[in-house]
Amino acid sequence: MLLNKRAERLFVWIFFPLALLMPMFLEQNEYYVNKLTTIMILSIFVMSLDYLVGKCGLITLGHAMFYGLGGYIFVMIAPEYEAVNFWIYTFYICAISATVAFVIGFLVLRTNGIYMIMITLAFAQMTFYYFSDSIDFGGTDGVFVYVKPETSIFGLSLFDLDNPTHFYYLCLLSLFNTLLFFKVLIRSRFGRLVDAIHANPGRTVALGYNIFIYRLVSYVVASALGAYAGYLFTLQYGFVNPSMLSWTTSGTALVMSILGGMGSIYGAILGTLVYEGLHYSLEHLTEHWLLFMGGLIILMVMVFKKGIAGFLEDLLEKRDGK
Amino acid sequence: MENNVILETEGLCKYWGGLKALDDLSLAFHDNQLHGIVGPNGAGKSTLLNMLCGHYKPTSGKILHRGESISSIKPYEFARRGIGRSFQKTNIYSNSTCLENCSVAVQRLMGGSFNFFRSRYSQKMLDEIATQALEKVGLGQRRDHIASQISYGEQRQLEIAMVLATSPEVLLLDEPMAGMGHEESQLIIDLLSRLKKEYCIVLVEHDMDAIFELSDQLTVMVDGQHLVTGSVDEVRDDPRVKEAYLGQGDEVY
Ligand SMILES: Nc1ncnc2c1ncn2[C@@H]1O[C@H](COP(=O)(O)OP(=O)(O)OP(=O)(O)O)[C@@H](O)[C@H]1O
Ligand SMILES: [Mg+2]
Repeated sequence: MLLNKRAERLFVWIFFPLALLMPMFLEQNEYYVNKLTTIMILSIFVMSLDYLVGKCGLITLGHAMFYGLGGYIFVMIAPEYEAVNFWIYTFYICAISATVAFVIGFLVLRTNGIYMIMITLAFAQMTFYYFSDSIDFGGTDGVFVYVKPETSIFGLSLFDLDNPTHFYYLCLLSLFNTLLFFKVLIRSRFGRLVDAIHANPGRTVALGYNIFIYRLVSYVVASALGAYAGYLFTLQYGFVNPSMLSWTTSGTALVMSILGGMGSIYGAILGTLVYEGLHYSLEHLTEHWLLFMGGLIILMVMVFKKGIAGFLEDLLEKRDGK
Repeated sequence: MENNVILETEGLCKYWGGLKALDDLSLAFHDNQLHGIVGPNGAGKSTLLNMLCGHYKPTSGKILHRGESISSIKPYEFARRGIGRSFQKTNIYSNSTCLENCSVAVQRLMGGSFNFFRSRYSQKMLDEIATQALEKVGLGQRRDHIASQISYGEQRQLEIAMVLATSPEVLLLDEPMAGMGHEESQLIIDLLSRLKKEYCIVLVEHDMDAIFELSDQLTVMVDGQHLVTGSVDEVRDDPRVKEAYLGQGDEVY
């Protein structure tokens, strides 16, 4: 079965129908629709990171690089005052960022552990400073997107990206597809190797596998999806700026993934929801929200040792056991 | 000649800083034979196996596979050439079932490891070959058990099953009987005496009774040096061997 944990099935069956109906409850309250849209975009980003860190055991602190590149590649290749096709540019952006990931992965994946963390961080910081200092790309202000892409496919236009509700549904669909993609990938023959390499790389080499190639493929796939999330973010807010590339973006995503339950994939959605939910509620309560937020995150990580997903799984299993 | 040389070392050396873990070793391993390697702790036996399987690179000297030098190929290519190994410390996928442990091994031969979409559970053939490997070592009934939950002796058997599942030609076994009870050891001895008819086996083992019973060729090593190679009887009666072992004092019990 594709969703092999009870908690996972439960979550998917609650979350997606609810998310589908949400815009109706919100009665076109744009603020909340936008907020939720961002959460879904971030979830895609966190999910791709969770796959790398939790599933492949490749700990990177430079994933934001691809998030930012998703946006910057778009403003680089799309004409400024002309509506391009969303799907075609999705392909371009994924292909270009995959190529970048291939080259960088070639260097990064020769290292591991703390060295890998440092090198991924170094690449991300280089990109960050390049775009921060670049006059062509507006320095720290970034670049505006004046015209949003159109989404026609075979003459059929399903989404109007200027309409927040439409954009919401596009992101929900993307999130669902990303989850489905990773679940299928993990169950596949390729996924068997991903599991084996994560559990015991030395043994997998002794069985005759070139583990470097499998890691590289995973890195490329996750990076392309991270860039896709960044592309969506840029389209939602109509600009791209260097903060998307900053190491705090990578760090926050890592916290969300740990909070949700590393390697659980669907936990990325849980982690993002809870993190952003806390952020939102605390921000409205006190100006010292960062302090409380930090404390709460530490507490939660201590209580939920395997993240929220792990906690739910244990809870449901225990209940079944009795 | 009836027994072909499959694997050979020529002047093989491995230094760890100033320590000569292996010094100028030249050995030949034959098809359908079990070649035992014995020696006191720290003699360099594991180091030798680690080089034969490509895990360590030699400091100098050569490893030849069917006459071709393979000292510079990548570690994973050794297994692809049919040189399989088990480890001194149990080295398995502990959180997976025994079947899954062997399936990883079989999948390399069956292909599809870059298939993103086809379910790993969908091919009967792969399951069958993996199951056969388990049955060969007597783990048929443990097929669906999680590897960390079977007994220590069974985990050692699983080690061997995983190597067999890669369809190797050479088996490099590092103390497969270490830490096993008498009955479990006997199981492995029976297994190896069957396997040696089909494979070229290099066996490192401290259990002297087992090694004497199984070996067609026997090599004694001491402190990284080759001491003597020959048939079991030749080695047993060699005065240098007696001296080496007695000279070790309390290190050998
Ligand atoms: N990775 C390493 N780095 C440094 N020294 C090493 C390394 N591996 C082994 N050695 C040293 O090389 C020598 C030979 O070790 P090796 O493990 O090959 O001995 P062995 O014959 O397998 O012994 P045992 O019977 O205890 O398994 C030892 O002195 C050991 O300390
Ligand atoms: Mg040893």
